[in-house]
Amino acid sequence: MTERKDETGLEAFFAAARETDPQPSGDFMARLEAEALAERPRPATGGPLALWRQLRAAIGGWPGVAGLATACAAGIWLGVSPPEGLSTVWPLQEAAIDTLGVDPLSGFDLAMMEG
Amino acid sequence: MPYDAMNDCEDEELLAAYAEGDAAAARALTGRLGPRVFAHAMRMLGGDRAEAEDVAQEALLRLWRAAPGWRHGEAKVTTWLYRVTANLCIDRMRGLRRAGPALDAIPEPEDDRPSAAAEMQQAARAEALQAALDDLPDRQRQAVILRHIEGLSNPEIAQIMDIGPRAVESLTARGKRALEARLLGRRDELGYRDDD
Repeated sequence: MTERKDETGLEAFFAAARETDPQPSGDFMARLEAEALAERPRPATGGPLALWRQLRAAIGGWPGVAGLATACAAGIWLGVSPPEGLSTVWPLQEAAIDTLGVDPLSGFDLAMMEG
Repeated sequence: MPYDAMNDCEDEELLAAYAEGDAAAARALTGRLGPRVFAHAMRMLGGDRAEAEDVAQEALLRLWRAAPGWRHGEAKVTTWLYRVTANLCIDRMRGLRRAGPALDAIPEPEDDRPSAAAEMQQAARAEALQAALDDLPDRQRQAVILRHIEGLSNPEIAQIMDIGPRAVESLTARGKRALEARLLGRRDELGYRDDD
């Protein structure tokens, strides 16, 4: 930094102040450092948030999450209120759980749960 | 990242690493910013070490808490810190207006070795300047310290103080005039003539 000609004679005082910079004590610096470490946000490993982040990355980030959510919503909607046209192709009686054999809680599973 | 490799990092990069929980960044930032904040607080508070330590600790605590939401490219870390530090100092001084250190209390040089005498002279000048700074209005003192002791540019001071560059010039000019009026009478006594 270039200073204009020192007309006031103050520059000698400013220079003295710069040379005698007040120094913090070692104890105080140690306290500051301990506080800085304690206030540090937790590293992004472990915990439910990190798991969610990994899952999100695995399915392709936010666009993947949006696609998955849309597909889920469409599936639920089809289940709750199937379009009329669908019954001619695939009668609802035939689509019943017993016919297809995809009982989510079969006798075998129940037996396993009971131990 | 190892500590040594952080010497070349910008404060902002270190703060981003801190926000990710990096311990080395926490140490590097403390080592870099702690002494600066402390020195600025000491000068603003008229050399009161205990108060300056409190202010420096509070200012850094605020920085650590601001780190996760820090918007990059918006403000320099040091600009932000100088502003927070000065505001904390001004708040404290409003509650606790104190007199500067008595000049009579400055010890005379005790031995006649030139280096020791010169050191004492520098210390005496710095103390005299501090006492004169303490008598300035808060904003003038802040502007003069930032410009002439910390060596910051006018635009940066303008950002810190949230005023225009012309207002900074006016504050420093008025501050220097007031300092001059207080210090010129002491030039002989403080060995100023030796420098001519």
